Amino acid sequence: MSAEMPTVRLGVLRKSYRVGESSIEALKGVSLDVGGGEMVALTGPSGSGKSTLLNLCGLIDTPDSGSRELCGTALDSLDELSLTRLRREKVGFIFQGFNLVPVMTVYDNVEYPLLLLGVAPAERRRRVLEVLGRVGLEPFALRLPDALSGGQRQRVAIARALIKAPALVIADEPTANLDSATARQIVDLLHELAHERNASVVVATHDERMSSHCDRVVHLIDGELQ
Amino acid sequence: MKWLVFAWKNVMRNRRRSLTAMLITAFGTAAVLASGGFALFTYESLEEMTARDSGHVVVAHARGFEGDEDVPLQHGLADATGLAAKFAALPGVRAVAPRVQFSGLISNGDKSAVFVGSGVVPEIDFRLRGPQMNFSAGQSPASNAPAPEVVIGDELARLMKAKVGSSLTLLATTTEGNLNAVDVVVSGIAGVGVPEIDKRLVLADLASVQRLLLSDKVGTLSIYLKETADTEAVAARVRELQPDLAVKTWRDLAVFYQAVRALYNRIFGILGVIMICIVLFAMSNTLGMAVVERTREIGTLRAIGTLPSEVVRNFVFEGMVIGGAGAVAGMVLAGGATVALLFAGIEMPPPPGRSVGYPLFLSFSPLLYGAVTLVVVTLAAAAAWMVSRRAANKPVTEALAHV
Repeated sequence: MSAEMPTVRLGVLRKSYRVGESSIEALKGVSLDVGGGEMVALTGPSGSGKSTLLNLCGLIDTPDSGSRELCGTALDSLDELSLTRLRREKVGFIFQGFNLVPVMTVYDNVEYPLLLLGVAPAERRRRVLEVLGRVGLEPFALRLPDALSGGQRQRVAIARALIKAPALVIADEPTANLDSATARQIVDLLHELAHERNASVVVATHDERMSSHCDRVVHLIDGELQ
Repeated sequence: MKWLVFAWKNVMRNRRRSLTAMLITAFGTAAVLASGGFALFTYESLEEMTARDSGHVVVAHARGFEGDEDVPLQHGLADATGLAAKFAALPGVRAVAPRVQFSGLISNGDKSAVFVGSGVVPEIDFRLRGPQMNFSAGQSPASNAPAPEVVIGDELARLMKAKVGSSLTLLATTTEGNLNAVDVVVSGIAGVGVPEIDKRLVLADLASVQRLLLSDKVGTLSIYLKETADTEAVAARVRELQPDLAVKTWRDLAVFYQAVRALYNRIFGILGVIMICIVLFAMSNTLGMAVVERTREIGTLRAIGTLPSEVVRNFVFEGMVIGGAGAVAGMVLAGGATVALLFAGIEMPPPPGRSVGYPLFLSFSPLLYGAVTLVVVTLAAAAAWMVSRRAANKPVTEALAHV
């Protein structure tokens, strides 16, 4: 990928949903480029289209029209399996509700993306311990998520998202369920790790503390960029 | 291995529900194995009974099995001794028993009854029949006794008011079409457990019967083998050696065995199908609930790059873990029942047409256990596949929004 090429390129995306008999247009021709290592905050009121844009960025939804590129790969003609493989390799997710697998230990949750990628066991172990060390959870490696605090769980989720060194991290309200002090730590950690690994981050947030740490803030109202 | 560990952990999420599915699977497996074991025991018992009665391979004159003789031994074997020696030399052969089937009237002087008899070589025949023939009094006839001796069925003895040592008269048609009679002494009273046979049964020394029928021929040569499994091979060898003779195996002659086998196969086949349905429903219900509860988790896994087929595979592993554990528990239950019955001494009531019961045993067959386990695990995997593929293919955003 050349230095000028953005990690994500979205061109005139439109997306509408049917609600009963009527149709709601969630995105009305949104275009957005996110550069390598850039951290972009998507802000806007509820129903503004943040989550829809985030889902389209993260390749878990498809637009009605418009174009998408990830790391120079045009996504319009790819089927669901190819998109899943692309997510596996290049996209990390951080969810508002952490979305850790409750029966897996911290170690297993973080290791999971590497299992999907078929990384050798020794290399997996090295990388898992390294990233758990970075998020300060090495001593908790064998605990189940239920035994952790909200902040610790979100750190596990960050470790899971970043362990495969993805080109893009999608974060949906990562600090919404956390207290101020913990939210601050999470913001710092995500910012630090993303820059360290040159990952582009697109984060949907209402949180001023989060958006103030981002390189760019994109404001959405009624499905349009302001 | 890691995926199996995850499957096990997921199975343990809702222990009560998984345990219920496991127990249903275990009891279903045990029921199929126990009923299958009972059917196998029945088949083996009938095989042994039939083979002990007729011999594993029976050789007769080319028309000997047609049953259309005008006079006794019309289609008998002339050189029985030579043929018997030839067959006895074949590998796997335990003994060759010459026999003559005959019938007529038996009388005690006051009363007569119809008998169906066999002329046998007592030293060979009674040893081979083993426990199939139960003596209630006396012993087998002696070939060198001063007067011809017979063993008669216990029902016939009752009708003839005969005891060991009683004198009776046998009246039969000779090979020349005339009537002939011989006085015999009862050396033993025995039964085979079938009242219809026991009230007509007469077993006499072969030489005495040949004298009665005025012939030196025998009706059949019954070849007894060391291993029942060698039956077809020995029958084929006999056919090669004597293509002019008719050769049948015990299976060809075992009409009752074939009928019972066909009946049991259907009964236990239907039972198997019912068990399959129960296991399938139990697994579908358990795993279906797990899939619904974990739809959001499926969405998460799909978002981070898990293919739908990999999600389905994980659920299939969970199904296999539950099915496998249930199958193992079922095998232990059935195995325990098999061993317990060896010592319990439970007797089954006499089957229709028989006067004695039989012990309730279950046969252990590694092949049956292996096949049932394979079927149960496959069913569990199929149930998991059925209930999880829809959720695995649900749009990721929809799955993540599942509450």
